[in-house]
Order: sequence, then C-alpha cells, then structure tokens
Amino acid sequence: MIEVDQLEKSYGFARALKGISFRVQRGEVIGFLGPNGAGKSTTMKILTGYLLPTAGRASVAGFDVVERSLEVRRNIGYLPESTPLYAEMRVDDYLRFCAEIRGVPRQKRNVAIARAVELCALQRVVGKNIVELSKGYRQRVGLAQAIVHEPAVLILDEPTSGLDPNQIIEVRKLIERLGKEHTVILSTHYLQEVERACSRVIIISQGLIVADDTRDRLIAQLPAGAVIATIRGPEPAIVAQLGELMPGRVASVLERHDGAVTVRIEAGDGRAPVEEGVAHLMVKNGWGLVAIGREPRTLEDAFRRLTLQASQEAMHA
Amino acid sequence: MRESLVIFRRELKSYFLSPIAYVVGVLFLIVQMGFAGFFCLIDRAQARMDGFFTLLPFVLVLFLPGLTMRLWAEERKVGTLELLMTFPVRIGALVVGKFLAVMAFLAVVLLFTLVLPMMLTVYGSLDWSPVIGGYLASLLMAGAFVAVGMVWSSVTRDQIVAMLLALVSLALLLGIGVTWFLDLIGITRGLPDLVDWLGMPRTIGIAALDVCAAISPYRYFESVARGVIDTRDLVYYACFCGFFLWLNALVLHGRRQKG
Repeated sequence: MIEVDQLEKSYGFARALKGISFRVQRGEVIGFLGPNGAGKSTTMKILTGYLLPTAGRASVAGFDVVERSLEVRRNIGYLPESTPLYAEMRVDDYLRFCAEIRGVPRQKRNVAIARAVELCALQRVVGKNIVELSKGYRQRVGLAQAIVHEPAVLILDEPTSGLDPNQIIEVRKLIERLGKEHTVILSTHYLQEVERACSRVIIISQGLIVADDTRDRLIAQLPAGAVIATIRGPEPAIVAQLGELMPGRVASVLERHDGAVTVRIEAGDGRAPVEEGVAHLMVKNGWGLVAIGREPRTLEDAFRRLTLQASQEAMHA
Repeated sequence: MRESLVIFRRELKSYFLSPIAYVVGVLFLIVQMGFAGFFCLIDRAQARMDGFFTLLPFVLVLFLPGLTMRLWAEERKVGTLELLMTFPVRIGALVVGKFLAVMAFLAVVLLFTLVLPMMLTVYGSLDWSPVIGGYLASLLMAGAFVAVGMVWSSVTRDQIVAMLLALVSLALLLGIGVTWFLDLIGITRGLPDLVDWLGMPRTIGIAALDVCAAISPYRYFESVARGVIDTRDLVYYACFCGFFLWLNALVLHGRRQKG
C-alpha cells in the first residue's frame, strides 16, 4: 500500500531524511516512532503529497507521490500534527466541507458524515462551533475529517499529543477500530499506544530508520531483564553473598519488609543462570525465598536503546 | 471548477463570520459614502456619480488589504494550509476559489453603495450608463487589487505584514498611473530631468512614465468608468489578474519544496 525507497529530504543544509526505505501492506497499522526532529513528520508530509522529496521515491496506493500527487491525495486521510481546524465552523459544516472537497458524491455525503460522526463519537457536538470544543473533541473532529471519505490509507501525525489520559485511551480505542478498515501509519511519543494498536513498529532517528519490526521481536532483541528477588534472611549476609556470587552486578536493595529484603540483580549478558545461583544460596544458608522474577522489558527500553545508539553514532560520524 | 466552488463557499461563509471583514466593510462604507456622498450631494445641480468613482480607487487601496490579508496568512498560521494542500485539489483551484470569495464579499459591500445613485435619481434624472460602467470598472479594479493582495498574504504567516505590504504595493501601483499625483510630487518633470542629467535622452524618461501608466490599473479604470467598454481594458485586467493569481499559485507550490 505504501512503498518508500531511499527517501531524502533536506531543508536548506539540514538533512531531515537521509534515505529511508520501508513498505506497508494493506491493513497494517504501523507505529512510527522517533525522538522529536527525527523526521517522522517530514516523512508523513511527503507521503501526503504536501512536501516534495529531495531525492528518492515514495508511492501510496500504487501512485507516485510526486508525479501522481492528486491520486495519492485521493487515497489518503491525513491528520496533521497539532490538528489544524477552521475554528469558526460548526462540526457538521466542517465535515461536510471536507467530504465535498474530497469528492464524496452528493448522494453519499450524509451517510459518510454520519459514519464518521459515529465512529469518532461526535454525536453530542455536531451542531457546535469547533472553537467551543475541548481538545479531545477537536482531536476527534480531526480524525473524523481524515476518515470521512473512507480513504485506503490513514496518516496520523501524533494523534494523541496534548490529550489527558482518559482522552488518550479513547482516541487509542478509536485508532484500533479504524485499523480494522484502513491501512494506518501513526506517529507518536506515547509508546503504550503502539503496544496496543500497532502490528509493526518503525523507529526513526536522525533521519534514518533504526528499527522496523514487530513489537515483540524488538523487545526480544533487548538484553535480558534484571532479576528481582525477595529473600527472608539477614540483610548484610544476603548482600555480601550475592555480591560474591555475581560480582559487580548485584544487588541494590530495593525494599525491606517484614524481615525480607528485595534485591535487584543485573542480568549481565543474559546467559548467566542468576535464578539458579540465588536458589543455591537459599538452600545453603537456609534463607526463605519469598518471590523471584525478571523485570519486564518494554518497547520503551527498545526505543531508548535504538535512538540513543543512533544519536551517538551520528555524533561520532 | 467544482473544487473552486467548494472553497469559494467555505471562504465566503467565513468572511461573514469574521469580525475583521465586518469592520473593514463598514469602515469602507462610512469613508466612501461619507466623502462621495458629500461631493455628489453638494454638487446638486447635476445628478452625477463622478465624485464617487473618482474617490473609489483610493479607498479600495486603503481597505482591500484588510480583506485579503487573512486569505493565506491565517491558514498558514493555524496550520490548515497544510491540510488544504493535501486535499485532492489543484493549487490553482484553491487560488481561484479564494479569489472569487473576496470578490463576492466585496460585491455585497458595494451593493450597499447603490443607495447613493438611488438617492440621486430622486434629486434629478441620473444617467445610469456611466454608473453601471463605474461599478464594472470598480469590480475589475478591485479584482486586480485582490490578486496582488493575495500574493502578499501567501508569502507570510503574519496578517499585519501581509496587509502593510499589500497597502504599499497597491498605493504604488495606483500612484504611478495617476497623472495629477505624479504632477504633484514632481515625477512628471523630475524623471525626464533625472534621465537627462544622467546623460541619456529625455525620451527614455518620458517612455518610462508611459510604461508606468500602462502598467497601472488606474488608466483602464478611468476608461471603463466612463461607460465605454473597450476590449483592450478587459484584456488588460484579465492579464493582470491572471498573472498575479498564477504568481500566487507559484508561491504556494514553492512551499511544497521548502516545507
């Protein structure tokens, strides 16, 4: 549905995109992640036909974004960053305007608008002026605008930025629902959004793609999580013996509770049998093992690792 | 064309929802009708609209920038321009739609000035053909001004800057065509003198003045306002508007390159 090939974009001397390539299949929901200034918005603006690339090619729904820009634009719905809207218009007037300009035929317009209103749960505000709406509602109007013509591809630039946690959850649910009917690319800072809704994650940093994979596989590439063990016994002896067993990696005491201590042991290269070692000490000293487990690894960790790596490489280069 | 109509409708509606447009419209009417009414009615012996149409170009220069300043600058500032330019619409259609919307709003404002010729018919018998010619000339001239104002609105996101640039450039465009103004500030003699002083034949200076007068919409306004519709005048206005609307589209297209 979307093909991007060695895409480059420079603003004057600043190179925002340094040759990125990726593909998106029909029905995929892609999370587009990256630090501020990584090139997410630039990529999206090129895909929507707003910006012209400096070099490379991109196509949406089989149409080249430069040569067949109008066809590309017919096949996309776009929510720009910060959700620009005509504040003085009423919600229904605005959606009608968008449907008209997008070429939704007259006889289908009412149905299309009603569908967008229902999907985005805008029934309560259709008759209001956009200027009166809360940020959450505005965001949903922006989304309704993007889907009113039932585009094949949805491009959403930070659809949840600036919303409160409840609104974020609502918008996220909406995106999940939209993902069933549309191919979606969304950029975001909120990684939970991606965890839930996206089938694949593309991480971009310094104008380059540093990862393009499913969430689970990105996490699997991370080093093993630290071991957290809660042990009943004398604290000094526990800390000392664990330190002897696994030098350098042990063991900050996180918590003391009811004569038990909770310690954190770095996993190191991931191959060292930490749990086994801990169990061995338990048996030898007659301590009680209250709980043991691994710290969960998250997409956040993968994101930090990959983007920091990229910015360090860029600094050395 | 269909897209232009959609843009036209939205834009016209937003004029009627915009306080600035009302302020500009009302102030325009007060100034134009105040002065022109005074001139026309004081000269009661003849029921003529000459005073009205002599004044109008200058008042348009003063007020039209207030109508055109928001057209692109506001959209750029709010960010809606980006969305607008990702709609499946050619840039030319956007430009034409907006242009027609300002013209329609202006036409509505000008409708209110019809009070004046109607009053004059009460005083005496008014010859309507120069009046109709005058209104046509005014609309053509306003179209030329709007096209220039729109270009300025597209180069900045600051409406005030757009307005000031439009004001200055329109005043210049008009000024170079107004003979009594050029006489007054001494250009009519000064420019040939300057050319002479530079050691070139005076005719170059005189030719330059002629070129200026040919560029300025003022002469064509005067000619149409007399009630004589000359194809050359219409061609001039079509070219003038066409050029600046094209320039407008070019500026907007340039934004896709720069981001």
